Amino acid sequence: MSLTELVSAVQALPHADKLRLMQALVVELARDEGIPLLSDVKAYPIWTPYDAFDAASTLLKALNADNAGA
Amino acid sequence: MTEAVRFPYLDIEPSLAEASRLPYLPLRFKSNQHALAASGLLDTGATVNVLPYGLGLELGFVWEQQTTPVRLSGNLAELPARVVLLSATVADFPSVRLAFAWTQATTLPLLLGQVNFFLEFDVCFFRGQSVFEVRPKPRA
Repeated sequence: MSLTELVSAVQALPHADKLRLMQALVVELARDEGIPLLSDVKAYPIWTPYDAFDAASTLLKALNADNAGA
Repeated sequence: MTEAVRFPYLDIEPSLAEASRLPYLPLRFKSNQHALAASGLLDTGATVNVLPYGLGLELGFVWEQQTTPVRLSGNLAELPARVVLLSATVADFPSVRLAFAWTQATTLPLLLGQVNFFLEFDVCFFRGQSVFEVRPKPRA
């Protein structure tokens, strides 16, 4: 497919698909340049302990005991 | 009121610059026999402070001697954690006692969370300027 045909095909795409195509091209260019990007195949752990209120209560008790003993 | 000290956000991945910029706070720890400089991520969503396993060892803690278990959430729920207390100093402010959940996880950053880092320090984030300010809480 020539570039002219490709451009015509792209112009015929729905708006959302044009955005997806643009996103895919940006990712590909970044990979070519060796620029690390968030990957859709890699897992990114989230370490933040949300809503660990029992843990927070335990830490506060330890601090209070420490203060009382100081 | 004590004047706040301003710190820059750090670029964790220099090639991504703004996208990887995070509020890491330099601080100094002192345990019974060890002193250590470290850098903690200010994590307002973290309910507690979290100490990575390796950093706990560097501070002289012995896992078997820490007897108070604490149960964490999220990814950290899979691993045991125990309570440890440390004296910490930020900038030239008076040192404070910080309680940490010392986890056996090794690949996470030092997390400074609501209990009790944010109980001890008032923090203002200016993300648009890539700086944040820290000052001790007002004493009664």
